[in-house]
Amino acid sequence: MAEAPLIEIRQLTKRFGELTAVDSLDLTVRAGEIYGLLGPNGAGKSTTIRSLMGFVRPTAGHAGLLGGTAHDLALRARVGYVGGDVVLDRGLRAGELLRWYGDLRGGVGRARVGELCERLALDPGRRIGQLSSGNRQKVAIVQAFMHDPDVLVLDEPTAGLDPLLQRSVLQLVRDRRDAGAAVLFSSHLLPEVEDIADRVGILRTGRLVREDTIANLREIARHRLELRFATDLPPGLLDGVDGVAAVEVDGRTAQLVVDGSVAELVRRVAGYGVERIISHDDDLEDIFFTYYQAEEDAR
Amino acid sequence: MSSVTTRPALRVRPGIVLRQMLAERRRTLAWWSVSIAALAAIIGASYPTVKDFGSQLEELLRQLPRGVIELMGAGGGLVSPEGYLNSRFYSGLFPILLLVFGIMVAAWTVAGAEREGTLEPLLANPVSRTRVALERFAGTAVLLAMLTFVGTAVFVVLRGPFELTSLGVGRLVAAGVGVFLLAMVFTALTFATGAATGNKGAAIAAGAGAAAATYLVFALAAFVEFFGNLRWLSPWDWFLSPSPLTDGWTAWAVWPPLLVIAVAVALGTALFARRDLR
Repeated sequence: MAEAPLIEIRQLTKRFGELTAVDSLDLTVRAGEIYGLLGPNGAGKSTTIRSLMGFVRPTAGHAGLLGGTAHDLALRARVGYVGGDVVLDRGLRAGELLRWYGDLRGGVGRARVGELCERLALDPGRRIGQLSSGNRQKVAIVQAFMHDPDVLVLDEPTAGLDPLLQRSVLQLVRDRRDAGAAVLFSSHLLPEVEDIADRVGILRTGRLVREDTIANLREIARHRLELRFATDLPPGLLDGVDGVAAVEVDGRTAQLVVDGSVAELVRRVAGYGVERIISHDDDLEDIFFTYYQAEEDAR
Repeated sequence: MSSVTTRPALRVRPGIVLRQMLAERRRTLAWWSVSIAALAAIIGASYPTVKDFGSQLEELLRQLPRGVIELMGAGGGLVSPEGYLNSRFYSGLFPILLLVFGIMVAAWTVAGAEREGTLEPLLANPVSRTRVALERFAGTAVLLAMLTFVGTAVFVVLRGPFELTSLGVGRLVAAGVGVFLLAMVFTALTFATGAATGNKGAAIAAGAGAAAATYLVFALAAFVEFFGNLRWLSPWDWFLSPSPLTDGWTAWAVWPPLLVIAVAVALGTALFARRDLR
């Protein structure tokens, strides 16, 4: 028998007046799994997460975790949460806030907090209001991980972090997953989710339009690439390459749109002195252009 | 194999949210205490001089209509210690300072914290909304009680030099409790509105608006029959007619405010526990 999922969202609908923010959403995350919730801004990611955390009440359906809901305090004690726009009490020192939150969770070891601060290079003696947004984000991350939660609910947790720290945070997430936690991770950036998620759901206007493994999603993702060559391109070099949807050549530079894998393209240009490959990781809307377009046309 | 464990039942000491709130407001409390103590001291220290003008003032007062005297808070005369303190401090300045402070803090407890975005991360901890709301309301009450204590203590301690010795400590304490409860009524309305709606502006408007409207009813009650019929609704009337400084403990100064506070807090907290966070 399969283990019961640690996060279980069933037929979740949330309306704010006329606006339906989330529409009949089904989503489960099992122990030891990272679920990437992808979608452009306004797709309903935050509303889904806020329902799961008990901040807003579902209009219909159920948003549960650990076999109950976040309204059960004993269950909430086992959840780590990073909100979308992080605002922590500005007047407090980072260490004071972490101690306070630790006390609220029945006590968290100082050693664990110290270790996390060190790992993220966070000085707990500074006042939160005086920290840069990246450093404030670190405080939010430390408080979410410090009690070794069984469920992690992370709403764009790496926003505002530099790439190096982003890696540290993703590694923290992986460590928790490997220890058996269920992770719901929202983002509007495909590469990040690609890097970390075991399974991905794409949310659009409140509905889950696709749920799949990363490998399968890569097939439908669309990349914008810019290739810069050492010399002018031989005419016709980029014609008829598998997966290339559009090409525009201007002297030594080629702008391409590739659907799915870039393997064939790379094979074709090998030996022609590619100096730079620039990838434009545009908005999700853009990356899944074809897919969204098909959805739209179907209506 | 998952390492997700069953953990012992969560035991969180009560008062953590309250203590945190008080710790964060030590500095504000200190500044307000100093200001209120200074005002009380200036008013108290002026009394011996005012008393010397006494007979002339009393003469003047006797010619004024009853309503004007009440409006001045001078029902007990202007030059008796109780009449002086009532008119100069307890019927205007002191309650207004207290309720401004109370409204400011109460508006923050839920609605303000919600707007600045700090409430949501706090509620991601295993602490119920009810507890956050109630502990923060209690924190507001504690801060307000401390300020009331400071203002009252100045007169109690300096009764001798201020020549207020004919005024019993018991009456000063009764007046202190009365003025505290008066300010708490509007503080509670602010808290309840903020908790129920999550709207800080509405919360402040409710508390300050109620204070202004009920003061108007109290102030005009002696002149306009319409307001006279409504005066029993005004917390200012509960506290000031008669003033605990002249009459000591009165049931009106204690029970109606307590009732309003209890109902407002219960309602606001219950609605807060059910609604969506903004």
